[in-house]
Amino acid sequence: MLDGFAYCQMIFDAQGRPVDFIYLLVNKKFNELTGLKGVVGKKVTEVIPGIGKDNPEILEVYGRVASTGVPEKFETYVKRLDVWLLISVYSPKKGFFAALFEDIHIQKKVEMDLANETLAIRNLLSDIKIQKNEVETAKVKEETALLAIGDGLLSTDENGKITLINKTAENLLNLRSEDVVGKSYSEVITIENEKNVIVPLDKRPIKLALTGITTNTNHSGFFYYYLRKDKTKFPAAMTVTPIILNNKVIGAIEIFRDITKEKEINKAKTEFVSLASHQLRTPLTAISWYTEMILNGDVGKVHAQQKKYLEEVYHGNRRMVELVNTLLNVSRIELGTFVIKQEPVDVIAMAESSLDEQKFNIQHRNLKITTNFDKNVPQLLADPKTFPLVFQNILSNAIDYSYSGGKIDFSIENDKGKNILIKISDNGLGIPKNQQHQIFTKLFRADNIIDKNTDGTGLGLYIAKSIVESSGGKIWFESEENKGSTFFISLPADGQKK
Amino acid sequence: METPKTILVVEDEKALCDAIMDFLTRENFSPIAARNGREGVELALSRHPDLILLDLVMPEMDGMTALKKIREDAWGANVPVIILTNLSPTDEKLVESIITFKPAHYLVKSDWKLRDVVKKINETLKLPSS
Repeated sequence: MLDGFAYCQMIFDAQGRPVDFIYLLVNKKFNELTGLKGVVGKKVTEVIPGIGKDNPEILEVYGRVASTGVPEKFETYVKRLDVWLLISVYSPKKGFFAALFEDIHIQKKVEMDLANETLAIRNLLSDIKIQKNEVETAKVKEETALLAIGDGLLSTDENGKITLINKTAENLLNLRSEDVVGKSYSEVITIENEKNVIVPLDKRPIKLALTGITTNTNHSGFFYYYLRKDKTKFPAAMTVTPIILNNKVIGAIEIFRDITKEKEINKAKTEFVSLASHQLRTPLTAISWYTEMILNGDVGKVHAQQKKYLEEVYHGNRRMVELVNTLLNVSRIELGTFVIKQEPVDVIAMAESSLDEQKFNIQHRNLKITTNFDKNVPQLLADPKTFPLVFQNILSNAIDYSYSGGKIDFSIENDKGKNILIKISDNGLGIPKNQQHQIFTKLFRADNIIDKNTDGTGLGLYIAKSIVESSGGKIWFESEENKGSTFFISLPADGQKK
Repeated sequence: METPKTILVVEDEKALCDAIMDFLTRENFSPIAARNGREGVELALSRHPDLILLDLVMPEMDGMTALKKIREDAWGANVPVIILTNLSPTDEKLVESIITFKPAHYLVKSDWKLRDVVKKINETLKLPSS
């Protein structure tokens, strides 16, 4: 027989409660299953001590079946024997019962494993749900943050169709996200330059970012007016960056900021500087002209000592005028870096003009100038109002710090078609090695020239460097004391030939 | 003997106006002074000077407005005007005005000696330089 079998007599207590039973007959399987031996004729409480406490259901069911005669089937884990059993009980005779025992520990294990696994999976699912929520929350937070940044932001795909526009952009442009996403950027947004001319498609910053770029350069410092549908407009500073994935441009991001306030402040500062320099120049002019007239002998003969002193007055006056002019330039540069307005300029024409300005000084100091201007030099993108100051300052240094009868070389050449290289060299005083690192700082003048020439402001090279760098170029020099200096300027070409 | 050329000096700063007037007199010009833009327009249109030296920053009416008004007149459209100011020609609107109203020259006072201003006047009036 596959099942264990036991035939027992039930024992009831005075109240009729089943409290024990005697094993009358058991089979071998029973012994195997339970691990019990020689149980026949013994009470179960002797054979399995504590069974009443551990498995009260066993005595209950047996008692019930033995009294009622109704068969029952149940599962139980008999603690003492460490065995899971499926027990079928029936009663052949009142007060007696027969039980069949099936070992179900395997099923039980399977059940439990299944239950455990189910629980594990449920837990996993729960964890996944939590993580998914966290990721989504983070994503929403990020998007919210991105959309909430104070600057206007919009992104396009590689074809210039708008993919994202944030709240600030919506507000500034008077557009709604649902109206513009998916539409072409140029359909939806119009920008104008300072002269109220609408910027054509191929010159728009987004277009520039989407095309012709293979590196991660961003195009910043654009300044345009955004036009709203209601024809109002506002000035904005924008930065446009291509989005690059696997070396391919897959879109562009444009970030812009309403700079109305800044423009106003800038305008106020510029006006202040202009007014201040005008006010400073007026009394300086009076000193200059009256001194000139006295020195001229217009109001009486001037003897040698008077002439000498008056010339000092005049000289001091000249220095102040020069300083006012230079400070005006410095502040124009420092305010002007806020808006970079560049156009193609003829750099050779500028160079020739700067030489012409210095004609008198060159002759006065008996200097020999050689020029080497390559006609094939491409056009330069620069601010035509401030760029001439670069030549002015470097050239005047070359002249001022040359010995009488010295030589100055001025050359402009094409550097591999991508850059313009300008060189101005002299064979004059040079710059001492230990001070070379300070040359471009504001108001710095090297020791060896302060003695010989008290007039300089120390601002000329600072101005030149600021302008060159804001045109995207580089400036550097080589110099040896008493041998001379060569200043180099490298500037990116506009790409357009003259 | 040639009649001296009349130069209208429009300048609000007394010290500078006097200096120019004195110097021009010594250089054998016949200068007349106006102390602001409004006077400048009046004197220009009534006296028809040979050349106008025009300051820009002035009370009551500034130099550019005065120049605009002078240019609207038939005679005034052609009178040579030398702007003599301490304002740098950097403001865009200013540059546009210069292009529109065509002064013969734009000189920054503090950068120019009186004798060189006179040279410029002679050049403009095509007179032989002294």
